[in-house]
Amino acid sequence: MVQVRGVAKAYPVPGGEFPALSGVDVAVDAGEFTAVVGRSGSGKTTLLNLLAGIDRPTAGEIWVAGTAVHEVPETRLAAWRGRAVGLVFQFFQLLPTLTVAENVMLPMDFCGTVPARRRRPLALELLDRVGIAEHADKVPAGLSGGQQQRAAIARALANDPPVILADEPTGNLDSATAGAILTLFRELAHAGKAVVMVTHERDLSGYVDRQVTLVDGRVAEDVAVSR
Amino acid sequence: MRPRTVKMWRDLVAARGRVALMILAIAVAMSGVGALLIARTVIVREAAAVYAGTNPASATLEVQGGVDAALLAQVRTRPGVTDAAARQTVLTRVRVGDQWRRMLLFVIAPDDPMRVAKLRLESGAWPPADGELLIERTAGPVLDAAAGDRLAVAGPSGATTEVRVSGTVYDAALAPAGQESTGYGYLTPAGLARLGFTASADELRIVTSERDEASVEATATAVAAWLTAQGRQVHLIQAPPYQHPHHSQSETITGMFLAFAVAALVLAGVLVAATLGGMLAAQTRQIGIMKTVGATTGQLLRVHLGAVAVIAASATVLAVGPALLAGYGLSGLVAEMLNVEIGSRALPWWVPASYLAAGLAIPLLVALVPLVRAARITVRAALDDHGAGTEVGGRRTDRWLTRLRGGRLSTLALRNLMRRRGRLALTLALLAAGGAMFTSGLNSSAAWRSWVDDGMARRAYDAQLRLASSAPVDTITGAATAVDGVVAAEPFVSLVATPATADGRIEVQRTYPDDGHGRFLLAALPVPTRMVDFEVTAGRWLQAGDTDGVVLNQSAVSRLGDPRVGDDVHLAVDGVVGRWRLVGTIAEAGGPATAYASPQSVSRFVEPGTANMLHIITDGDPGVVAGELEAALNSMGVLVGESMLTEDLRTAIDEHVAIFIGTLLALATLMAAVGVLGLAATMSITVTQRTREYGVMQAIGARPAIIRRMVVLEGTLTGLLGSLVAIVLGVPLSVLVGELLGTISFGLPLPLRLAPGGLVAWLLLSVAAAAAATLVAARRAARLTVRETLSYQ
Ligand SMILES: Nc1ncnc2c1ncn2[C@@H]1O[C@H](COP(=O)(O)OP(=O)(O)OP(=O)(O)O)[C@@H](O)[C@H]1O
Ligand SMILES: [Mg+2]
Repeated sequence: MVQVRGVAKAYPVPGGEFPALSGVDVAVDAGEFTAVVGRSGSGKTTLLNLLAGIDRPTAGEIWVAGTAVHEVPETRLAAWRGRAVGLVFQFFQLLPTLTVAENVMLPMDFCGTVPARRRRPLALELLDRVGIAEHADKVPAGLSGGQQQRAAIARALANDPPVILADEPTGNLDSATAGAILTLFRELAHAGKAVVMVTHERDLSGYVDRQVTLVDGRVAEDVAVSR
Repeated sequence: MRPRTVKMWRDLVAARGRVALMILAIAVAMSGVGALLIARTVIVREAAAVYAGTNPASATLEVQGGVDAALLAQVRTRPGVTDAAARQTVLTRVRVGDQWRRMLLFVIAPDDPMRVAKLRLESGAWPPADGELLIERTAGPVLDAAAGDRLAVAGPSGATTEVRVSGTVYDAALAPAGQESTGYGYLTPAGLARLGFTASADELRIVTSERDEASVEATATAVAAWLTAQGRQVHLIQAPPYQHPHHSQSETITGMFLAFAVAALVLAGVLVAATLGGMLAAQTRQIGIMKTVGATTGQLLRVHLGAVAVIAASATVLAVGPALLAGYGLSGLVAEMLNVEIGSRALPWWVPASYLAAGLAIPLLVALVPLVRAARITVRAALDDHGAGTEVGGRRTDRWLTRLRGGRLSTLALRNLMRRRGRLALTLALLAAGGAMFTSGLNSSAAWRSWVDDGMARRAYDAQLRLASSAPVDTITGAATAVDGVVAAEPFVSLVATPATADGRIEVQRTYPDDGHGRFLLAALPVPTRMVDFEVTAGRWLQAGDTDGVVLNQSAVSRLGDPRVGDDVHLAVDGVVGRWRLVGTIAEAGGPATAYASPQSVSRFVEPGTANMLHIITDGDPGVVAGELEAALNSMGVLVGESMLTEDLRTAIDEHVAIFIGTLLALATLMAAVGVLGLAATMSITVTQRTREYGVMQAIGARPAIIRRMVVLEGTLTGLLGSLVAIVLGVPLSVLVGELLGTISFGLPLPLRLAPGGLVAWLLLSVAAAAAATLVAARRAARLTVRETLSYQ
C-alpha cells in the first residue's frame, strides 16, 4: 500500500544542503499498523510529509495507494491527498469555527466524494465509530484533547482513504487517553487501512505490528512487533 | 449548507467589525458611483430631450433690416431648408425697486407658427396683448414679478413704460435668469414698438433637413449668399452644435466626477483586499489544514472570492438608497442650473447593470491578488507558519531599526510599523490616495477662488456703463468727474463683432444665438488704461502706436481658431471687415470673447472722439455712485442702456460653478472617508495579529496602558506618514483637476493653489482618525488577559 524506494530528502540551508533523509526504503501493507520512531531530528516528520505529498523527495520513489506521489503535479496533489490519505496531527488541527461534525464533513465537501445529503449521517457514523457521537455539534474548543484527537481521526476517515498518516497523535495526551487512541488506530489497521504513525511513545507493544527506527535520516531498524 | 460555506460565514461573523468597515467603505464609494451614474445619465439625456423639444434652429443669420413675411416665405423654399422663422432680440433694462436689471426681450410675431425655437407656455396665453409680455419661468425672482404684476421696461430713450406680465413660458435653450442676472421677456413686435423700439425681425432662424455640421454650414452660407444677392446684408451666421449649450460641459464634468468615484471604489477594493489579506494571513494554518484534507487552491479561492462577493454585494445593495437620493438630488441641482426640466427620471437598463457590475467586479478584481496568494500557499508553508510574521533581523532597514535609540516606546512603535512592510505600504497607499483626492479637491476650489479673486483684482473699475448710443468722450468725462464719488472715469468703445476670413467673408460661428454664449466683442480702451491690468499669457498688452494691434482674451483666441502672436486677425463689425495684427493674448476671468484694439483702429466703425461705454472707479457705494452718474448723463441727453457693477460679475461667475465645486468637495470627503476606513481596518488587523506578542509583553510585566500607548503611537505614525504622502501626491492631481475644471469654465487651466487650511485639516483629520481607529483596537488588545492572548491562534 505504501512503498518508499531509495528516498532521500535534503533541505537547502545557508551554506549548502542538510540531508534529512537518505536511502530510505520502507514498505507498509494494507491492514498493517506501523510506527516510525527515532530521536528528535531523525527525519520522522520529513518522511511522513513525503508520504502525504506535502513535500517532495530529492531522490527516490514514493508509491502510496498505487499512485506515484513523487510524480503527481502540484495542482492535483490536494485532491489526491483528500481521497488517498487521512492525516492526523499532534495538535489535532480542527478548524475552530466549525462544529465537530462539520469538521468531519469538510473533506467530503472538498473532494465531492459523498453527496451532500449523505454527508452528515456519514459524519455521525464516523464520530460514533471513534466514540464521540454525542459531541458532534460542539465546536472543538469545547472538547478535551483526547476527544479532539478522536474527532481529527474521524475527519481523516471521512473519504475512506486506504492510508492513514499520523504525526505524534498522542504527543499531547495523557497515557490513558493515548492508549485509547492507539487502540483506535490498531482497529482501523485491522479493518484494512495502512496506518503509519510517527511517535515518541515508549511502550508500543500490543498496539503496532511493525516498528521502523530512524537514526540520522536512515532506517536503522525495521522489525515486526509480536502481539 | 456546505461546511466550507459555513466556515466562510462564521469567519465573517467573527470578524464583523472589520467586515462592517469593508462594507462601509465600498458602500460609501458606491454611493458616489451610483449618484454620478444617475446624475450623468439623467442630465445628459434630459438636457438633450428638452433642447431637441424646442426644435432649435440649425443656424441663425443676422440680416440687416430684418426679414418680412414675404422674404421668410421665400427662405422656407430654399434648398435644404425645411423651416424658418424671423425673430428679434432686444437688450434693455427693467426698473426693479430702485435698481435697474438687465432684460432681454424676445420678439415673436403673432402669426409666427412657433415651430422653430419653440417655447412652452406655462401660464397665460400667446400672443400677449400689446401692453403685455410673458416672462421666462426662471425670471420671476430677477424681475421680482409674477403673472399679473407690472414691469417698468426701459425704452431706447431710457424712459420706462409699464408692461403687464400676462404669463410665463419655459425656454429650455436659455440659462436660468438668476444665473445670468437677466430678465427674459417675450412679446410681439407691436408690444415692442409700444416701448419705443423699432421692430425689425433681423434674426433669421432656419432649420435644415440635414443636421450634420457640414450640411448645416453649407445650407446656411447658401442662404446667406442668396440673401446678399437679394440686396440684404448678413452680419452673422451662427450654427451651434445640435445639442444643449451645456451638453459637453456637463458631460465632461460629470465624467470627471464619475472617474473620481470609481477611483474611490478601487480604493475601497484595495481596502477590502488588504483587510481580507490580513485576515487570511492569520488563518494560514487553517488553510493548510483544509489543503491536507483535500481542498484545492481553486476551491479555497472560490470560497474567499465568495466572501468578497458577499461583502461587495451587501455594500452595493446598501448604497442603492444613498445613490438614488444623491443622484436625483444632484440631477435636480444641475437641472436647475441648466434650466433643464426633468421630464423623466427613468434609468436605462445599463445604469443599474453598470452599477451592479462596478460594485461587484471592481472589489473582486482588486482582491484577486491577495486572495490568490493566500489560497496558493503550500501545506508545508502553512503548517510551518506560527503566526509570528516576518522576523526582524534580515534586511538592512531592520539592522538600522534595531540600532535605533530614543524613547523606548516610540522606537518599538516604529519598529513594529516597519515589520509588516507590505501592509504598511497598502495602508499608506489607501490613506495617501484618499488624502490626495481630498486635498486636490480643496486645492482646486482654492485655485478657483483665487483665479476669480485675481480676475476681479485686475479690474480696477467698480462699474461699467453702456450708453444707448455713442456720445463725445469729453461730454462723458465731464459728466463723470462732476459726480461726487467718481474717482476716475474712462470712456471707451465696445462693439459687437464677428470673426471673418481674410477675404472678408463672415465665418459661420459654432455659437448659440442667446446673446451670452456666442457674443464676441471688439473693445477699444484708452492706451494705456488704468481700468484693467490683465495677465498677459503671450506677447504683450497694447502700446501707444499700436494702430492695428489687437490683444485677445482666451475665449477670443479659441473662437478665432488659436492664432499666434504676429498672425492677422479679421473681424467684421456691421458687415465691415477689418484686419488687425495679434500682439498679445491675455487671461480674463469672466466676460465674453473680447478683442482689445486701439481707439484709432475702430475709427472706421465709430465716429472718432466718441464712446459708447464707460468704466468708473468710485470711492463710495458703487451702486449709488453709478446711479447718480447715470442721472447726470441722462440730464445731459446721454442715455444709459445698462450699468453693471463689478461685484455682480463676481456673483455671476461663482454661480456658474458653485455646484461643481460643491460636488468636488463632497467627492473629496468621500475619498477621505474611504482612506480613513482603510487605516482603521488595517490597524485593527495589525493589532489582532500581534495579540500573542502583547500577551507575552504583559506576561513580562508591561502594563496595559503601555501597550495601548504603543499601538496608538504606531497608528498615529501611520496616519502622519500617509497624510504627508497624500499632500505631495495631491499636487499633481490638483494640477490635473484644475486644468480640466478651468478649461471647461474659463478656457484656461486654473493656476495651482495649495489650500493651507485644507492641508492642515487633512493632517489633523487623518492623524486623529488613525489614533481613534487604533485606540479601539488597542483597548481590546490590552483588555485581553495574558492567558487569552497566549492561547490565541
Ligand atoms: N524546512 C527545513 N529546512 C531545513 N531543515 C529542516 C527543515 N525541516 C526539517 N529540517 C531538518 O531536518 C531534520 C529532520 O527533521 P524532522 O522534522 O523530520 O525531525 P523529526 O524526526 O520529526 O523530529 P521531532 O521528533 O523533533 O519532531 C532536522 O534536523 C531538521 O532540523
Ligand atoms: Mg517531527
